[in-house]
Amino acid sequence: MRDTFSETLVAATLSNPDVYLLTGDHGYALFDELRKKSPDRYLNAGIAEQNMVGVAAGMAKAGLIPVVYGLAAFVPIRVLEQIKLDICHENLRVILIGDGAGVVYSKLGVSHQSFEDMSALRGVPNIRIMSPCDKQEMKLCMEDALNYKGPTYIRMGKCDVGNIHTKKLTGVPGMHQLVEGKPGAPIILATGSMVKAAQDLIAGEFKDYGLYSVSMIKPFNEAALVKAVAGTPLVITMEEHSVYGGLGGAVAEITSTFSPKKVLRLGIEDKFSDKCGTWDYLMHEHGLDLKGLKAKIQKFGNNA
Amino acid sequence: MKFNPAKIRTTILDMAHSGQTVHVACAFSIVEIAAVLYRSVLDLGDGTVGCQKRDKLILSKGHGVMALYACLEELGWLDKKTIIDYFQDGSELKGLSECNVPGLEVSSGSLGHGLSVAVGLALAAKKKGSDRKIYCIVGDGEMNEGAIWEGILFAAHFKLDNFILVVDENKYQAMGTTKEVMDMGNIKSKLDAFGFFTLEANGHNEADLLDKFQKLLKNTEGKPKALVADTVKGYGVSFMHANNAWHYSRLTDETHKAAVNELKQGQKS
Repeated sequence: MRDTFSETLVAATLSNPDVYLLTGDHGYALFDELRKKSPDRYLNAGIAEQNMVGVAAGMAKAGLIPVVYGLAAFVPIRVLEQIKLDICHENLRVILIGDGAGVVYSKLGVSHQSFEDMSALRGVPNIRIMSPCDKQEMKLCMEDALNYKGPTYIRMGKCDVGNIHTKKLTGVPGMHQLVEGKPGAPIILATGSMVKAAQDLIAGEFKDYGLYSVSMIKPFNEAALVKAVAGTPLVITMEEHSVYGGLGGAVAEITSTFSPKKVLRLGIEDKFSDKCGTWDYLMHEHGLDLKGLKAKIQKFGNNA
Repeated sequence: MKFNPAKIRTTILDMAHSGQTVHVACAFSIVEIAAVLYRSVLDLGDGTVGCQKRDKLILSKGHGVMALYACLEELGWLDKKTIIDYFQDGSELKGLSECNVPGLEVSSGSLGHGLSVAVGLALAAKKKGSDRKIYCIVGDGEMNEGAIWEGILFAAHFKLDNFILVVDENKYQAMGTTKEVMDMGNIKSKLDAFGFFTLEANGHNEADLLDKFQKLLKNTEGKPKALVADTVKGYGVSFMHANNAWHYSRLTDETHKAAVNELKQGQKS
Protein backbone atom coordinates (compact mmCIF):
# COMPACT_ATOMS: atom_id res chain seq x y z
CA MET A 1 0.00 0.00 0.00
CA ARG A 2 2.86 2.41 0.73
CA ASP A 3 4.41 1.50 -2.63
CA THR A 4 1.10 2.31 -4.28
CA PHE A 5 1.01 5.65 -2.49
CA SER A 6 4.49 6.40 -3.78
CA GLU A 7 3.68 5.25 -7.34
CA THR A 8 0.47 7.31 -7.46
CA LEU A 9 2.28 10.35 -6.13
CA VAL A 10 5.16 10.02 -8.61
CA ALA A 11 2.68 9.59 -11.49
CA ALA A 12 0.81 12.71 -10.34
CA THR A 13 3.99 14.80 -10.27
CA LEU A 14 4.87 13.59 -13.77
CA SER A 15 1.46 14.42 -15.23
CA ASN A 16 0.77 17.65 -13.32
CA PRO A 17 3.41 20.36 -12.79
CA ASP A 18 1.53 21.71 -9.76
CA VAL A 19 1.79 18.63 -7.50
CA TYR A 20 4.31 18.86 -4.63
CA LEU A 21 5.18 16.61 -1.72
CA LEU A 22 5.98 18.14 1.66
CA THR A 23 7.37 16.05 4.46
CA GLY A 24 8.33 16.91 7.99
CA ASP A 25 11.63 15.02 7.66
CA HIS A 26 9.81 11.69 7.68
CA GLY A 27 9.40 8.90 5.13
CA TYR A 28 12.84 7.38 4.86
CA ALA A 29 13.12 5.51 1.53
CA LEU A 30 9.41 6.10 0.80
CA PHE A 31 10.22 9.05 -1.47
CA ASP A 32 13.27 7.62 -3.25
CA GLU A 33 11.36 7.28 -6.53
CA LEU A 34 9.89 10.75 -6.23
CA ARG A 35 13.29 12.26 -5.56
CA LYS A 36 14.68 10.40 -8.57
CA LYS A 37 11.86 11.17 -11.02
CA SER A 38 10.66 14.60 -9.79
CA PRO A 39 13.34 15.97 -7.48
CA ASP A 40 12.05 19.54 -7.70
CA ARG A 41 8.66 18.47 -6.27
CA TYR A 42 10.07 17.03 -3.08
CA LEU A 43 10.20 19.54 -0.23
CA ASN A 44 11.55 18.57 3.14
CA ALA A 45 10.09 21.20 5.47
CA GLY A 46 12.22 20.06 8.37
CA ILE A 47 11.01 18.91 11.76
CA ALA A 48 8.47 21.71 11.88
CA GLU A 49 5.00 20.37 11.16
CA GLN A 50 2.99 23.47 12.09
CA ASN A 51 4.82 25.61 9.55
CA MET A 52 4.68 22.80 6.96
CA VAL A 53 0.87 22.77 7.05
CA GLY A 54 0.68 26.58 6.86
CA VAL A 55 3.09 26.57 3.92
CA ALA A 56 0.94 23.93 2.20
CA ALA A 57 -2.09 26.19 2.66
CA GLY A 58 -0.23 29.11 1.09
CA MET A 59 0.86 26.92 -1.83
CA ALA A 60 -2.72 25.73 -2.36
CA LYS A 61 -3.98 29.32 -2.28
CA ALA A 62 -1.57 30.06 -5.12
CA GLY A 63 -2.91 27.14 -7.18
CA LEU A 64 -0.39 24.42 -6.38
CA ILE A 65 -1.46 20.97 -5.15
CA PRO A 66 0.49 20.05 -2.01
CA VAL A 67 0.53 16.52 -0.60
CA VAL A 68 1.58 16.77 3.04
CA TYR A 69 3.12 13.65 4.50
CA GLY A 70 3.58 12.92 8.17
CA LEU A 71 2.98 10.26 10.75
CA ALA A 72 -0.66 10.31 11.87
CA ALA A 73 0.56 11.20 15.35
CA PHE A 74 1.82 14.49 13.92
CA VAL A 75 -0.35 15.03 10.80
CA PRO A 76 -3.18 15.58 11.77
CA ILE A 77 -2.80 15.45 15.55
CA ARG A 78 0.05 17.87 16.21
CA VAL A 79 -1.21 20.31 13.56
CA LEU A 80 -4.95 20.11 14.07
CA GLU A 81 -5.36 23.88 14.41
CA GLN A 82 -3.34 24.60 11.26
CA ILE A 83 -5.53 22.10 9.38
CA LYS A 84 -8.68 23.74 10.72
CA LEU A 85 -7.74 27.40 10.15
CA ASP A 86 -5.18 27.45 7.36
CA ILE A 87 -6.61 24.69 5.16
CA CYS A 88 -10.21 23.81 6.01
CA HIS A 89 -11.62 27.26 6.66
CA GLU A 90 -10.72 28.19 3.10
CA ASN A 91 -11.54 24.73 1.76
CA LEU A 92 -8.14 24.43 0.06
CA ARG A 93 -6.98 21.48 -2.01
CA VAL A 94 -4.38 19.94 0.26
CA ILE A 95 -3.93 16.17 0.61
CA LEU A 96 -2.79 15.14 4.08
CA ILE A 97 -1.26 11.71 4.57
CA GLY A 98 -1.16 10.26 8.08
CA ASP A 99 1.20 7.30 7.95
CA GLY A 100 1.50 4.61 10.60
CA ALA A 101 -2.02 5.29 11.91
CA GLY A 102 -3.22 3.00 14.67
CA VAL A 103 -0.59 1.09 16.62
CA VAL A 104 1.77 0.50 13.67
CA TYR A 105 4.67 2.01 15.61
CA SER A 106 4.05 -0.54 18.32
CA LYS A 107 7.59 -0.60 19.63
CA LEU A 108 8.10 3.17 19.66
CA GLY A 109 5.27 3.79 22.08
CA VAL A 110 2.46 6.24 22.61
CA SER A 111 4.08 9.31 20.96
CA HIS A 112 4.12 7.62 17.55
CA GLN A 113 0.79 5.78 17.78
CA SER A 114 -2.44 7.47 16.77
CA PHE A 115 -5.93 6.15 17.17
CA GLU A 116 -7.60 9.51 17.67
CA ASP A 117 -6.81 10.99 14.23
CA MET A 118 -10.18 10.35 12.60
CA SER A 119 -12.26 11.45 15.58
CA ALA A 120 -10.15 14.61 15.99
CA LEU A 121 -10.66 15.54 12.33
CA ARG A 122 -14.29 14.50 11.88
CA GLY A 123 -15.60 17.63 13.61
CA VAL A 124 -13.60 19.97 11.37
CA PRO A 125 -15.78 21.23 8.49
CA ASN A 126 -14.87 20.64 4.84
CA ILE A 127 -12.22 17.94 5.25
CA ARG A 128 -12.83 14.47 3.86
CA ILE A 129 -11.41 11.43 5.63
CA MET A 130 -10.30 8.30 3.80
CA SER A 131 -9.00 5.05 5.23
CA PRO A 132 -7.89 2.58 2.56
CA CYS A 133 -7.31 -1.09 3.39
CA ASP A 134 -5.07 -2.17 0.51
CA LYS A 135 -3.27 -0.96 -2.57
CA GLN A 136 -6.35 -0.80 -4.79
CA GLU A 137 -8.23 1.34 -2.27
CA MET A 138 -5.13 3.50 -1.79
CA LYS A 139 -4.95 4.19 -5.53
CA LEU A 140 -8.66 5.02 -5.61
CA CYS A 141 -8.29 7.37 -2.63
CA MET A 142 -5.16 9.15 -3.86
CA GLU A 143 -6.54 9.73 -7.36
CA ASP A 144 -9.83 10.95 -5.97
CA ALA A 145 -8.09 13.29 -3.50
CA LEU A 146 -5.78 14.78 -6.15
CA ASN A 147 -8.80 15.69 -8.28
CA TYR A 148 -11.00 17.00 -5.46
CA LYS A 149 -11.17 20.77 -4.94
CA GLY A 150 -10.89 20.68 -1.16
CA PRO A 151 -8.95 19.04 1.66
CA THR A 152 -8.63 15.28 2.12
CA TYR A 153 -6.98 13.30 4.89
CA ILE A 154 -5.82 9.81 3.91
CA ARG A 155 -5.18 7.53 6.82
CA MET A 156 -2.40 5.09 6.04
CA GLY A 157 -2.31 2.38 8.69
CA LYS A 158 -0.82 -1.13 8.81
CA CYS A 159 0.23 -1.72 5.22
CA ASP A 160 1.41 -5.30 4.98
CA VAL A 161 -1.64 -7.40 5.87
CA GLY A 162 -2.08 -8.35 2.21
CA ASN A 163 -4.46 -7.50 -0.59
CA ILE A 164 -8.16 -7.44 0.13
CA HIS A 165 -9.68 -6.71 -3.24
CA THR A 166 -9.08 -9.53 -5.70
CA LYS A 167 -11.10 -8.00 -8.53
CA LYS A 168 -10.32 -4.64 -10.06
CA LEU A 169 -11.78 -1.96 -7.84
CA THR A 170 -13.63 0.82 -9.66
CA GLY A 171 -15.88 3.68 -8.67
CA VAL A 172 -15.17 6.12 -5.86
CA PRO A 173 -14.03 5.77 -2.24
CA GLY A 174 -16.91 4.75 0.00
CA MET A 175 -18.35 1.36 1.00
CA HIS A 176 -17.10 -1.64 -0.92
CA GLN A 177 -19.04 -4.91 -0.52
CA LEU A 178 -16.73 -7.89 -0.08
CA VAL A 179 -19.08 -10.58 1.27
CA GLU A 180 -22.83 -10.49 0.70
CA GLY A 181 -23.62 -12.64 3.74
CA LYS A 182 -26.75 -14.58 4.49
CA PRO A 183 -29.98 -12.52 4.49
CA GLY A 184 -30.70 -11.34 8.03
CA ALA A 185 -27.20 -12.11 9.32
CA PRO A 186 -25.02 -9.43 10.97
CA ILE A 187 -23.09 -7.06 8.72
CA ILE A 188 -19.48 -6.16 9.44
CA LEU A 189 -18.18 -2.77 8.37
CA ALA A 190 -14.40 -2.61 8.66
CA THR A 191 -11.70 -0.17 7.64
CA GLY A 192 -7.93 -0.21 7.17
CA SER A 193 -6.08 -3.15 8.68
CA MET A 194 -9.25 -4.56 10.25
CA VAL A 195 -10.78 -5.50 6.90
CA LYS A 196 -8.33 -8.41 6.76
CA ALA A 197 -9.26 -9.42 10.30
CA ALA A 198 -12.94 -9.32 9.34
CA GLN A 199 -12.25 -11.55 6.35
CA ASP A 200 -10.49 -14.02 8.65
CA LEU A 201 -13.42 -14.03 11.08
CA ILE A 202 -15.86 -14.74 8.26
CA ALA A 203 -13.61 -17.52 6.96
CA GLY A 204 -13.77 -19.02 10.47
CA GLU A 205 -16.68 -18.89 12.90
CA PHE A 206 -18.86 -16.20 11.34
CA LYS A 207 -19.59 -17.68 7.92
CA ASP A 208 -23.01 -16.09 7.46
CA TYR A 209 -21.90 -12.52 8.10
CA GLY A 210 -21.76 -9.88 5.39
CA LEU A 211 -18.72 -7.60 4.99
CA TYR A 212 -18.03 -4.15 3.62
CA SER A 213 -14.72 -2.37 3.51
CA VAL A 214 -15.18 1.34 4.21
CA SER A 215 -12.57 3.53 2.51
CA MET A 216 -14.32 6.87 3.07
CA ILE A 217 -15.24 7.78 6.62
CA LYS A 218 -16.30 11.38 5.97
CA PRO A 219 -18.52 12.28 4.31
CA PHE A 220 -20.11 8.90 4.89
CA ASN A 221 -22.31 7.51 2.16
CA GLU A 222 -25.44 7.48 4.32
CA ALA A 223 -27.75 6.12 1.66
CA ALA A 224 -25.44 3.20 0.95
CA LEU A 225 -25.12 2.43 4.64
CA VAL A 226 -28.86 2.51 5.29
CA LYS A 227 -29.41 0.23 2.28
CA ALA A 228 -26.65 -2.17 3.30
CA VAL A 229 -27.89 -2.65 6.86
CA ALA A 230 -31.62 -2.67 6.07
CA GLY A 231 -32.15 -6.38 6.66
CA THR A 232 -29.81 -7.00 9.61
CA PRO A 233 -30.43 -6.69 13.35
CA LEU A 234 -26.73 -6.13 14.15
CA VAL A 235 -23.98 -4.04 12.61
CA ILE A 236 -20.40 -4.65 13.74
CA THR A 237 -17.76 -2.00 13.06
CA MET A 238 -14.06 -2.82 13.19
CA GLU A 239 -11.22 -0.30 13.11
CA GLU A 240 -7.66 0.12 14.39
CA HIS A 241 -8.82 3.39 15.93
CA SER A 242 -10.67 4.55 19.01
CA VAL A 243 -14.24 3.32 19.39
CA TYR A 244 -15.09 6.99 19.80
CA GLY A 245 -15.70 9.15 16.76
CA GLY A 246 -14.24 7.03 13.96
CA LEU A 247 -15.95 4.45 11.76
CA GLY A 248 -18.01 3.07 14.65
CA GLY A 249 -19.04 6.53 15.74
CA ALA A 250 -20.11 7.51 12.23
CA VAL A 251 -22.08 4.28 11.69
CA ALA A 252 -23.81 4.59 15.08
CA GLU A 253 -24.75 8.21 14.37
CA ILE A 254 -26.25 7.41 11.00
CA THR A 255 -28.06 4.20 11.92
CA SER A 256 -29.52 5.68 15.10
CA THR A 257 -31.17 8.34 12.96
CA PHE A 258 -32.16 6.47 9.83
CA SER A 259 -32.20 2.77 10.68
CA PRO A 260 -32.01 2.16 14.44
CA LYS A 261 -30.39 -1.15 15.38
CA LYS A 262 -27.65 -2.51 17.58
CA VAL A 263 -24.13 -1.39 16.60
CA LEU A 264 -21.18 -3.22 18.15
CA ARG A 265 -18.16 -0.94 17.86
CA LEU A 266 -14.88 -2.85 17.92
CA GLY A 267 -11.77 -0.74 18.15
CA ILE A 268 -9.40 0.64 20.72
CA GLU A 269 -11.11 1.29 24.03
CA ASP A 270 -10.42 4.46 26.03
CA LYS A 271 -6.79 3.71 26.89
CA PHE A 272 -3.24 4.14 25.68
CA SER A 273 -1.06 1.19 24.75
CA ASP A 274 0.65 -0.18 27.83
CA LYS A 275 3.53 -2.44 26.86
CA CYS A 276 6.15 -2.65 24.14
CA GLY A 277 5.91 -5.35 21.52
CA THR A 278 5.11 -6.29 17.93
CA TRP A 279 2.02 -4.99 16.13
CA ASP A 280 0.41 -8.40 16.72
CA TYR A 281 1.24 -8.17 20.41
CA LEU A 282 -0.34 -4.71 20.77
CA MET A 283 -3.42 -5.72 18.81
CA HIS A 284 -3.77 -8.54 21.31
CA GLU A 285 -3.29 -6.09 24.18
CA HIS A 286 -6.15 -4.00 22.81
CA GLY A 287 -8.34 -7.07 22.24
CA LEU A 288 -8.23 -6.65 18.48
CA ASP A 289 -6.51 -9.90 17.55
CA LEU A 290 -8.73 -12.61 16.10
CA LYS A 291 -9.20 -14.28 19.46
CA GLY A 292 -10.15 -11.03 21.17
CA LEU A 293 -12.50 -9.96 18.37
CA LYS A 294 -14.20 -13.35 18.37
CA ALA A 295 -14.72 -13.22 22.13
CA LYS A 296 -16.21 -9.71 21.97
CA ILE A 297 -18.64 -10.64 19.20
CA GLN A 298 -19.73 -13.84 20.95
CA LYS A 299 -20.11 -12.10 24.31
CA PHE A 300 -22.22 -9.37 22.73
CA GLY A 301 -24.33 -11.99 20.95
CA ASN A 302 -24.96 -13.87 24.18
CA ASN A 303 -26.04 -10.70 25.98
CA ALA A 304 -28.02 -9.15 23.12
CA MET B 1 -3.71 61.73 -0.11
CA LYS B 2 -4.95 58.16 0.09
CA PHE B 3 -4.35 56.09 3.19
CA ASN B 4 -4.13 59.12 5.45
CA PRO B 5 -3.19 57.73 8.89
CA ALA B 6 -5.55 60.06 10.77
CA LYS B 7 -8.41 58.99 8.52
CA ILE B 8 -7.56 55.32 9.00
CA ARG B 9 -7.47 55.82 12.78
CA THR B 10 -10.81 57.63 12.67
CA THR B 11 -12.36 54.71 10.77
CA ILE B 12 -10.90 52.34 13.39
CA LEU B 13 -12.38 54.45 16.19
CA ASP B 14 -15.78 54.57 14.48
CA MET B 15 -15.81 50.80 13.96
CA ALA B 16 -14.66 50.07 17.49
CA HIS B 17 -17.22 52.48 18.92
CA SER B 18 -20.24 51.37 16.92
CA GLY B 19 -19.29 47.71 17.27
CA GLN B 20 -18.25 48.07 20.91
CA THR B 21 -15.13 46.04 20.20
CA VAL B 22 -11.61 45.89 21.59
CA HIS B 23 -8.08 45.83 20.06
CA VAL B 24 -8.04 49.53 19.17
CA ALA B 25 -4.44 50.03 20.30
CA CYS B 26 -3.31 46.89 18.47
CA ALA B 27 -4.68 48.31 15.22
CA PHE B 28 -3.22 51.78 15.85
CA SER B 29 0.37 50.55 15.99
CA ILE B 30 0.28 49.24 12.39
CA VAL B 31 -1.56 52.15 10.73
CA GLU B 32 1.47 53.81 9.10
CA ILE B 33 2.94 50.44 8.12
CA ALA B 34 -0.26 49.42 6.32
CA ALA B 35 -0.70 52.89 4.83
CA VAL B 36 2.80 53.00 3.34
CA LEU B 37 2.58 49.44 2.06
CA TYR B 38 -0.77 49.93 0.31
CA ARG B 39 0.00 53.43 -0.95
CA SER B 40 3.57 53.12 -2.17
CA VAL B 41 5.06 49.65 -1.85
CA LEU B 42 2.66 46.88 -2.87
CA ASP B 43 2.28 46.22 -6.60
CA LEU B 44 -1.50 45.82 -6.79
CA GLY B 45 -1.58 45.02 -10.52
CA ASP B 46 -4.90 46.18 -11.96
CA GLY B 47 -5.99 47.19 -8.47
CA THR B 48 -8.73 44.60 -8.16
CA VAL B 49 -8.81 42.25 -5.19
CA GLY B 50 -9.02 39.28 -7.56
CA CYS B 51 -5.86 40.20 -9.48
CA GLN B 52 -3.82 37.00 -9.65
CA LYS B 53 -0.46 38.71 -10.03
CA ARG B 54 -0.69 41.37 -7.33
CA ASP B 55 1.54 41.45 -4.28
CA LYS B 56 -0.14 40.25 -1.11
CA LEU B 57 -0.15 41.61 2.41
CA ILE B 58 -0.85 39.00 5.06
CA LEU B 59 -1.84 40.21 8.51
CA SER B 60 -0.60 37.50 10.84
CA LYS B 61 -1.46 39.48 13.99
CA GLY B 62 -5.15 39.13 13.23
CA HIS B 63 -6.26 41.34 16.12
CA GLY B 64 -4.92 44.41 14.27
CA VAL B 65 -7.54 43.78 11.61
CA MET B 66 -9.44 47.09 11.91
CA ALA B 67 -6.43 48.89 10.41
CA LEU B 68 -6.71 46.64 7.37
CA TYR B 69 -10.49 47.01 7.12
CA ALA B 70 -9.96 50.78 6.91
CA CYS B 71 -7.35 50.32 4.15
CA LEU B 72 -9.49 47.82 2.25
CA GLU B 73 -12.27 50.39 2.20
CA GLU B 74 -9.89 52.92 0.64
CA LEU B 75 -8.94 50.34 -1.96
CA GLY B 76 -12.62 49.86 -2.78
CA TRP B 77 -12.41 46.21 -1.76
CA LEU B 78 -14.86 46.78 1.09
CA ASP B 79 -17.84 49.13 0.87
CA LYS B 80 -18.82 51.76 3.42
CA LYS B 81 -21.93 49.86 4.53
CA THR B 82 -19.89 46.78 5.40
CA ILE B 83 -17.61 48.97 7.51
CA ILE B 84 -20.52 50.74 9.22
CA ASP B 85 -22.26 47.44 9.97
CA TYR B 86 -19.27 46.21 11.99
CA PHE B 87 -20.32 43.69 14.64
CA GLN B 88 -24.01 43.89 13.75
CA ASP B 89 -25.88 40.57 13.67
CA GLY B 90 -25.31 38.91 10.30
CA SER B 91 -22.48 41.28 9.28
CA GLU B 92 -19.38 40.24 7.35
CA LEU B 93 -16.44 41.61 9.31
CA LYS B 94 -15.29 39.86 12.47
CA GLY B 95 -13.09 40.95 15.33
CA LEU B 96 -10.12 38.99 13.98
CA SER B 97 -8.81 38.47 10.45
CA GLU B 98 -10.66 35.83 8.41
CA CYS B 99 -9.81 34.55 4.95
CA ASN B 100 -13.29 35.00 3.48
CA VAL B 101 -12.99 38.83 3.57
CA PRO B 102 -11.69 40.02 0.17
CA GLY B 103 -8.08 41.10 0.62
CA LEU B 104 -7.49 39.59 4.05
CA GLU B 105 -6.01 36.33 2.71
CA VAL B 106 -5.78 34.36 5.98
CA SER B 107 -7.65 33.45 9.16
CA SER B 108 -5.15 34.65 11.70
CA GLY B 109 -7.00 35.26 14.94
CA SER B 110 -5.01 32.40 16.38
CA LEU B 111 -1.44 33.68 16.36
CA GLY B 112 1.49 32.18 14.50
CA HIS B 113 -0.56 31.05 11.45
CA GLY B 114 -0.33 33.86 8.92
CA LEU B 115 3.43 33.85 8.58
CA SER B 116 3.54 30.20 7.44
CA VAL B 117 0.75 30.72 4.92
CA ALA B 118 2.59 33.81 3.64
CA VAL B 119 5.79 31.78 3.32
CA GLY B 120 3.82 29.17 1.34
CA LEU B 121 2.55 31.89 -0.99
CA ALA B 122 6.11 33.16 -1.44
CA LEU B 123 7.37 29.65 -2.18
CA ALA B 124 4.55 29.10 -4.69
CA ALA B 125 5.41 32.38 -6.43
CA LYS B 126 9.02 31.18 -6.82
CA LYS B 127 7.91 27.78 -8.09
CA LYS B 128 5.56 29.36 -10.61
CA GLY B 129 8.16 31.86 -11.81
CA SER B 130 6.10 34.83 -10.62
CA ASP B 131 7.83 37.98 -9.36
CA ARG B 132 4.98 38.63 -6.94
CA LYS B 133 6.08 39.65 -3.45
CA ILE B 134 4.48 38.57 -0.21
CA TYR B 135 4.46 40.89 2.79
CA CYS B 136 3.52 39.73 6.24
CA ILE B 137 2.89 41.73 9.42
CA VAL B 138 3.52 39.95 12.71
CA GLY B 139 3.36 41.34 16.23
CA ASP B 140 6.33 41.22 18.59
CA GLY B 141 4.10 39.41 21.12
CA GLU B 142 3.06 36.98 18.39
CA MET B 143 6.71 36.04 18.04
CA ASN B 144 6.32 34.04 21.26
CA GLU B 145 4.72 31.38 19.04
CA GLY B 146 7.07 28.59 18.00
CA ALA B 147 5.45 28.32 14.56
CA ILE B 148 6.74 31.83 13.75
CA TRP B 149 10.32 30.62 14.11
CA GLU B 150 9.59 27.47 12.11
CA GLY B 151 8.38 29.72 9.28
CA ILE B 152 11.37 32.05 9.59
CA LEU B 153 13.74 29.07 9.35
CA PHE B 154 11.88 27.78 6.29
CA ALA B 155 11.90 31.15 4.50
CA ALA B 156 15.65 31.49 5.00
CA HIS B 157 16.43 27.87 4.08
CA PHE B 158 14.45 28.10 0.84
CA LYS B 159 15.93 31.58 0.07
CA LEU B 160 12.56 33.25 -0.30
CA ASP B 161 13.83 36.74 -1.15
CA ASN B 162 10.29 37.62 -2.30
CA PHE B 163 9.11 37.36 1.32
CA ILE B 164 9.12 40.56 3.36
CA LEU B 165 8.37 40.25 7.05
CA VAL B 166 7.28 43.32 9.01
CA VAL B 167 7.52 43.13 12.78
CA ASP B 168 5.20 45.50 14.62
CA GLU B 169 7.41 45.97 17.65
CA ASN B 170 5.02 47.84 19.89
CA LYS B 171 6.63 46.27 22.96
CA TYR B 172 3.35 45.15 24.49
CA GLN B 173 1.31 41.99 24.46
CA ALA B 174 -2.08 41.26 25.97
CA MET B 175 -1.09 41.10 29.63
CA GLY B 176 1.87 43.46 29.83
CA THR B 177 5.09 44.57 28.21
CA THR B 178 6.96 41.99 26.18
CA LYS B 179 9.85 42.50 28.57
CA GLU B 180 7.68 41.42 31.50
CA VAL B 181 5.76 38.64 29.77
CA MET B 182 8.25 37.04 27.38
CA ASP B 183 11.29 39.10 26.55
CA MET B 184 11.98 38.92 22.81
CA GLY B 185 15.38 40.56 23.22
CA ASN B 186 16.83 42.12 20.09
CA ILE B 187 14.52 41.05 17.28
CA LYS B 188 16.71 42.42 14.48
CA SER B 189 19.72 40.43 15.63
CA LYS B 190 17.56 37.32 15.99
CA LEU B 191 16.26 37.69 12.43
CA ASP B 192 19.76 38.40 11.12
CA ALA B 193 20.99 35.28 12.87
CA PHE B 194 18.19 33.29 11.23
CA GLY B 195 19.38 34.41 7.78
CA PHE B 196 17.18 37.42 7.03
CA PHE B 197 18.30 40.76 5.64
CA THR B 198 16.86 43.02 8.32
CA LEU B 199 16.43 46.77 8.69
CA GLU B 200 14.82 48.87 11.39
CA ALA B 201 12.49 51.83 11.01
CA ASN B 202 10.42 54.25 12.99
CA GLY B 203 7.07 52.53 12.49
CA HIS B 204 5.11 55.78 12.59
CA ASN B 205 7.35 57.80 10.26
CA GLU B 206 6.03 57.21 6.75
CA ALA B 207 9.12 58.59 5.00
CA ASP B 208 11.41 56.35 7.04
CA LEU B 209 9.18 53.31 6.44
CA LEU B 210 9.10 53.92 2.69
CA ASP B 211 12.85 54.44 2.55
CA LYS B 212 13.50 51.19 4.42
CA PHE B 213 11.05 49.17 2.32
CA GLN B 214 12.80 50.46 -0.79
CA LYS B 215 16.19 49.54 0.64
CA LEU B 216 14.89 46.06 1.47
CA LEU B 217 13.58 45.58 -2.06
CA LYS B 218 16.90 46.66 -3.54
CA ASN B 219 18.82 44.04 -1.61
CA THR B 220 20.02 41.24 -3.85
CA GLU B 221 21.59 38.83 -1.38
CA GLY B 222 18.87 36.25 -2.04
CA LYS B 223 17.68 36.35 1.55
CA PRO B 224 14.17 36.85 2.89
CA LYS B 225 13.76 40.38 4.19
CA ALA B 226 12.49 41.89 7.39
CA LEU B 227 11.69 45.30 8.71
CA VAL B 228 11.53 45.70 12.47
CA ALA B 229 9.21 48.65 12.98
CA ASP B 230 9.61 50.53 16.24
CA THR B 231 5.99 51.32 17.07
CA VAL B 232 3.86 52.51 19.95
CA LYS B 233 0.78 50.58 20.95
CA GLY B 234 -2.14 53.00 20.73
CA TYR B 235 -0.12 55.57 18.71
CA GLY B 236 -2.05 58.62 17.53
CA VAL B 237 -4.35 59.34 20.47
CA SER B 238 -2.71 60.71 23.61
CA PHE B 239 -4.69 58.73 26.18
CA MET B 240 -4.12 55.48 24.31
CA HIS B 241 -0.41 56.12 23.68
CA ALA B 242 1.58 53.16 25.11
CA ASN B 243 -1.42 52.42 27.31
CA ASN B 244 -2.02 48.68 27.26
CA ALA B 245 -5.50 49.12 28.72
CA TRP B 246 -6.56 49.90 25.14
CA HIS B 247 -5.81 46.34 24.11
CA TYR B 248 -9.10 45.42 25.78
CA SER B 249 -10.93 48.70 26.56
CA ARG B 250 -14.14 49.66 24.76
CA LEU B 251 -14.87 53.19 23.65
CA THR B 252 -17.63 55.16 25.35
CA ASP B 253 -19.35 58.04 23.57
CA GLU B 254 -17.02 60.38 25.46
CA THR B 255 -13.73 58.63 24.76
CA HIS B 256 -14.74 58.11 21.13
CA LYS B 257 -15.48 61.81 20.71
CA ALA B 258 -12.29 62.87 22.49
CA ALA B 259 -10.14 60.55 20.35
CA VAL B 260 -11.75 61.60 17.07
CA ASN B 261 -11.40 65.27 17.99
CA GLU B 262 -7.75 64.84 18.83
CA LEU B 263 -7.10 63.28 15.43
CA LYS B 264 -8.93 66.18 13.78
CA GLN B 265 -6.85 68.72 15.70
CA GLY B 266 -3.69 66.89 14.72
CA GLN B 267 -4.71 67.16 11.07
CA LYS B 268 -5.17 70.93 11.34
CA SER B 269 -1.92 71.65 13.14
